[in-house]
Amino acid sequence: MALAVKSWTALGSSAHVLTTLEDRLEPATAAVRRVLLDVDAAYSRFRKDSELTSLNASAGRTIPVSPLLATAIEAALRAARLTNGAVDPTIGRAIRVVGYDDDFSRISGPHPTLARERGREVKLRAEVVPGWQAIRLNQRSRTVWLPAGVELDLGSTGKALAADLAAAAALAAAGAGGVLVSLGGDIATAGVPPIGGWRILIAEDSQASPSGDGDVICVPAGGVATSSTTVRRWSRGGELLHHIIDPKTSLPTSGPFRTVTVVAATCLDANTASTAAIVHGEAAIEWLCSWHLPARLVENDGTIHYIGQWPDPSSVAA
Amino acid sequence: MDSLTPTQRDRGLQRLRRLTFGATAGGLIALVGVGYAAAASYAGKASSTGATAATTTTTTGTTTATPAATTSPSAASSTTSSGGLQSATQAPTTGSSGSGTVTSGGS
Repeated sequence: MALAVKSWTALGSSAHVLTTLEDRLEPATAAVRRVLLDVDAAYSRFRKDSELTSLNASAGRTIPVSPLLATAIEAALRAARLTNGAVDPTIGRAIRVVGYDDDFSRISGPHPTLARERGREVKLRAEVVPGWQAIRLNQRSRTVWLPAGVELDLGSTGKALAADLAAAAALAAAGAGGVLVSLGGDIATAGVPPIGGWRILIAEDSQASPSGDGDVICVPAGGVATSSTTVRRWSRGGELLHHIIDPKTSLPTSGPFRTVTVVAATCLDANTASTAAIVHGEAAIEWLCSWHLPARLVENDGTIHYIGQWPDPSSVAA
Repeated sequence: MDSLTPTQRDRGLQRLRRLTFGATAGGLIALVGVGYAAAASYAGKASSTGATAATTTTTTGTTTATPAATTSPSAASSTTSSGGLQSATQAPTTGSSGSGTVTSGGS
């Protein structure tokens, strides 16, 4: 079955829409674009006019929020609760302080130094993560209260939620067949899959060519997410840093796994698990097994572990 | 002081019973009324944990009540449910690269 594909850049990374029915690609793509525009306006951390930026600037007061932002915060709080705080949306200030304070597309180079610190010495600082329990979300009145000084970062769960919302919207717009939405390697599917399932190459970097070498899995339904410390890296105060923050230390994680991929019922659950596994470090495998989620973990030295019902890469079926 | 006749004493006791009954009934009615007014005027404030747990039952109502949003989060009601992390309905299988392959990686 030939799949129809549309790709472009969105939310600071790549966006791909695939449909099993060629004539449904256009309405599906239009629906995904609408969702991504809404997501960007609601909870981009890098837009001064986003709703999230306004909320972060209003800490200490009860603020009404849109249904989309309320849903995104609800998803982030659920992820925090299910991971015992390993995936915590209150890392906003910590990740900004360690240097990730702009869209990565505006910084060039493999391990860039932030522009404002070039030519002068900068010490690495860490900001204590307040903890997700401090957030008060009232879904009935749709209001949020953040303690003073707390900044939310919905980047981890936010993109995965966007993929789930976009896939659902794309299928509704297509009206038939199946759709796959990939946002920077976070993948959500909806509807009837192609025969054999959706083919997904597992890589450390979502920019890797789909025709490149590596493990390929076929996913009939659900979502796939990969978290990796090998991308979005930068240098600050002489330290090489990455974007996955350990809420316990307020600094980038330093565990044994550099890349984790998880398959789950939704992209949000897959991303929650893959990010938490990186943060959990040595406890990651036991933690993933407790959820019965198929997972692939790459150690810092390249050793690969396959967990749960992850398919045996030595048996190619499709 | 003149002593009361039995008839006068009975009338006095009946009047006292009526007053006691009336005061009790009035107090109960007032108690219910004040309680209702208090509950209606202050719905309570949930803690962060409580608010999160409550979203399972309120998400659908909230999203359907807000048609102004361009992006309806109703599709996310299952993804943001208060249940645990969910496995896919079917396990992945091994595949090979080909047409329509997409990459999952860090970003």
